[in-house]
Amino acid sequence: MQEVIVSPSEALEFEHIVAHEDTRNGRGANRKGFFTDTSLCIGCKACEVACKQWNQLPGDGFFFTGMSYDNTVQLGASTWRHVAFIERPMALQGQDAGAFSWLMSSDVCKHCARAGCLESCPTGAIIRTEFDTVYVQPDVCNGCGYCVVNCPFGVIDRHAEDGRAWKCTLCYDRLKEDMAPACAKACPTDSIKFGNLEELKEIAHQRVDRLHENGVQDAYLYGADSKQQPGTEGLNAFFLLLDKPEVYNLPPDPVVPTKKVGESWRAMGAAAAGIAALALAAVFGSRMGERT
Amino acid sequence: METVLSDGRDIDTKIATLTGEASHQLTPAPHQPGVWETMPGAQRTDPTYYDRPMLKPSVWKPYIPAYYFVGGAAGASLALGAAAQLDGSHELDDLIQRCHWTGIIGSSIAAVLLISDLGRPSRFLFMLRVFRPTSPMNMGAWILAVAPSAAVTAGLFARRTNGILQRLGEVAGYTSGIFGLALATYTGVLVANTAVPIWQECRRVLPILFGASAVASAGSIFDLLVEGSRTQRITYSFGLAGRVAELTAGLAMERVASRVPSVGRPLKRGFSGFLWRAATILTAGSIVAMLWPGQKRRTREIAGILGLGGSLLMRFAVDEAGKASALDPRASFHQQRSDLSNLD
Repeated sequence: MQEVIVSPSEALEFEHIVAHEDTRNGRGANRKGFFTDTSLCIGCKACEVACKQWNQLPGDGFFFTGMSYDNTVQLGASTWRHVAFIERPMALQGQDAGAFSWLMSSDVCKHCARAGCLESCPTGAIIRTEFDTVYVQPDVCNGCGYCVVNCPFGVIDRHAEDGRAWKCTLCYDRLKEDMAPACAKACPTDSIKFGNLEELKEIAHQRVDRLHENGVQDAYLYGADSKQQPGTEGLNAFFLLLDKPEVYNLPPDPVVPTKKVGESWRAMGAAAAGIAALALAAVFGSRMGERT
Repeated sequence: METVLSDGRDIDTKIATLTGEASHQLTPAPHQPGVWETMPGAQRTDPTYYDRPMLKPSVWKPYIPAYYFVGGAAGASLALGAAAQLDGSHELDDLIQRCHWTGIIGSSIAAVLLISDLGRPSRFLFMLRVFRPTSPMNMGAWILAVAPSAAVTAGLFARRTNGILQRLGEVAGYTSGIFGLALATYTGVLVANTAVPIWQECRRVLPILFGASAVASAGSIFDLLVEGSRTQRITYSFGLAGRVAELTAGLAMERVASRVPSVGRPLKRGFSGFLWRAATILTAGSIVAMLWPGQKRRTREIAGILGLGGSLLMRFAVDEAGKASALDPRASFHQQRSDLSNLD
């Protein structure tokens, strides 16, 4: 049973779309992802609860932050969906409802096409699955913590007591059973859409066009492809946003560190050559000192 | 597993099994952020999300900056040992031996430090289950495995005068030197290959700074150890050059980081700024002690201690600056926005 979360009308609209094979990097048509349409999010946190329940994640404690309705604060080792609440002293575009608006957005691991965590993992614990998602194998991770500083989105974290790195698995266990991830399944407004990546992109572009037609010019896609986000070469979990990325605590131009690390390796080569030269000069220079 | 009803899972194990992906995680300690009193969306020009960090700071304990220091000193010693071996003169045998010992002991301490920092120390050998050039940490594990092994081999056969074992010892000596060079410098790449804004911004300087610091710390160790006039001269010029390079690279790093003010701030303010200043002062003081007229044993020793302190504090300053930088969301945002405007 293949579940692609679209409403019946949208399903009719996209009947004609044939998901074309994406052969980049030899990746097949079985690329799964999330399209999180924040314009539909009502901030119910059903995704957070569903994620915690399905994955049997422990709670984060009960306390109030004073940050609007956000008492989850951030993604982390035991929090794999996080709904952000942004209060703004302005009306939503296209609305006439006084000078106040809420933005809500369910954040999640982006399962980047070029994943910083995966490329930096020294044990090979982090893998690319058959669904093109990024998965941390808990039986391999040795908790070195390098992925934590390599994620340009600050998603993955090392669990203090457990010692291993954890993040959203895009419900790898459910995907293998042809089921939609728990968060997408629980989302009551289809703000979280799960499906084949190419189909999701079509849906997303049509949604942006429709919002623009309705006067919401602010709407744009975040990380839908490598053109929008060359630093990550696109996100398998991408977003529709209504304000600057920073407002949602998302980086405006994230770059997977390995993209620029060539410069560091070259600098290291120069440094190593410099040390070799210093050592040789010190040794052979001392010979000359002897003669004089 | 026991029935756990109080950890937020609310699962009655009489009717359900704990088999989910994260069912073995313990409950984390709750974090207590401060109370926010104004509307965050009101900030239109330079927005953040309640000033919350966008990135996760590194979870590394002080073992890791200590590792940079110890591993660096070990690597630079091995490199100097190989250079002395190339000279071929027997008067340097003592120096070569000391270089090997410093390299072996240093690498061993370094390995212990690295393993101590792991969340699952018993799995440390998993580092060697793949060979992954995109991960400087994986490359480092291989370097750390080879460098001391080669030094031990070289040390074992150093006294042989002929035959295949002597050849093996020689080759091992040079190998340890080459891997020592890598050990002294790769940690700069390790730090640079991250999303942390200050480390990312200084990605071209860090390997040079760490390499220079490695030379300075190796030189400082020999200031405290070495006797004999020629070896004294060798370690003097090696250590002095390293310290000058470290000071210069440090100034360069400060300049590079300060191109975006919020990125460079951790080197100027806070605990990391204090460590950075202290490191600079100690290294500069060490250079002064080296150049102090009338070469006395005492001034060499003072220079050695100051040099070690400067190198050690520099590693801790870089580590702390990275943590502060990751916790400042504006550092990331400004750095990325400045990159956006300078697209070439």
